[in-house]
Amino acid sequence: MGPLTYYDIISPEWNYVIALIIGMGFGYFLEATGFSSSRKLAGVFYGYDFAVIRMFFTATLVAIIGLLYMGYFGWINYNVLFVHPTFVISALVGGVIMGFGFIMGGFCPGTSLTAVAIGKLDGWVFTIGLFLGIFLFSETFPFIEKYYYGGDLGHITITEYFNISPGVFVLGFTIMAVALFYVTTVIRKRVKSVNY
Amino acid sequence: MSKRYIFLAGLLIVMSLGLVFVPAKKETIAIHPKQMLIKINNPARYLSTYEVAKRIVERDPSLFLIDVRPKEQFTIYSVPGSINIPIKDISNPEWQDYLDQDGMNIIFYSNGDVSADKAWLFATEQGGDHLYVMRGGMNEWYRSIIKPIPPEDTAPTEEFEKYAFARGACAFFMGSSASIDNSTMTDKKTVVVRKKKKKAAEGGC
Repeated sequence: MGPLTYYDIISPEWNYVIALIIGMGFGYFLEATGFSSSRKLAGVFYGYDFAVIRMFFTATLVAIIGLLYMGYFGWINYNVLFVHPTFVISALVGGVIMGFGFIMGGFCPGTSLTAVAIGKLDGWVFTIGLFLGIFLFSETFPFIEKYYYGGDLGHITITEYFNISPGVFVLGFTIMAVALFYVTTVIRKRVKSVNY
Repeated sequence: MSKRYIFLAGLLIVMSLGLVFVPAKKETIAIHPKQMLIKINNPARYLSTYEVAKRIVERDPSLFLIDVRPKEQFTIYSVPGSINIPIKDISNPEWQDYLDQDGMNIIFYSNGDVSADKAWLFATEQGGDHLYVMRGGMNEWYRSIIKPIPPEDTAPTEEFEKYAFARGACAFFMGSSASIDNSTMTDKKTVVVRKKKKKAAEGGC
């Protein structure tokens, strides 16, 4: 838990407890903002509700700005944060599959669980389909392994790849996100509202 | 967009702008103070001159000796196989690779313990590992290895073994012709003086 364990304010065992609390909070706020509704989630693709895209970009900005400032103040060691390896082919194919699934089902994996939590049948169906997909993937993995690990760029970040400073990248990303928020507002005003 | 969203958007832009001007924090591999205290208090960080000499004689490949005395003193005499990094130059980036070598046991020594301890502290703070100090430094090296003093007759066996080793080590380091310079210090043969039993006085009453 970042600065708290780094400075021995709490012992590392508390990380699991804090992770549980954060997970519960995450689920709570997802449901509280209406993300257990498939219609609300699918609205980003039809132009009548952009809550999802705004939420994701806001969360990303708060996280990246917070992390960089915490790294600057020495509260966390920014350089030892784990960076997932980048597999270009897998990311592209997985993104397309995810996009189709999102549009058709109206859920992503996390929000489907919040829908299950409140007893929505479409959430149940989506989650069952999710686990079937996982099972299918694991059974066919030997055949797709080569493509799964294709385009391995390693544990790389955008700032390292394009050789730009993190501050400049975050500023550009912030401006892009704010512009996106404005554009989504304009689109929403022009699209016929939907009662859901 | 409502005023609240405009304010929040402006806040995000200002904070991200701040990141552009914030200087990049230089990462230092600093050891945690608690760990540092444990390492300072660990007596195993000191090696005796006998242990160092033994490793040199056995040609331990992981041994790396650093003499932190001034260059002039190093030139006059130093422990065989050591390099010289004067304590005042210890922070020079040129020497940093010597202070942290994977798989090597790095032993600092000076004339006593003070300068070697300083070097050890500095190297440990930089994140180095397997760092040691030769206890007593060159003064102890000279006294125990180059010119060992024979132990007292009543000394424990261990002292005699150390002395025997030191004589051999001295010959190794100084050459067989080099004397221990204790020409007057030959093995004292223990002479058991047997007192003659006093005969009982004879005669008389």
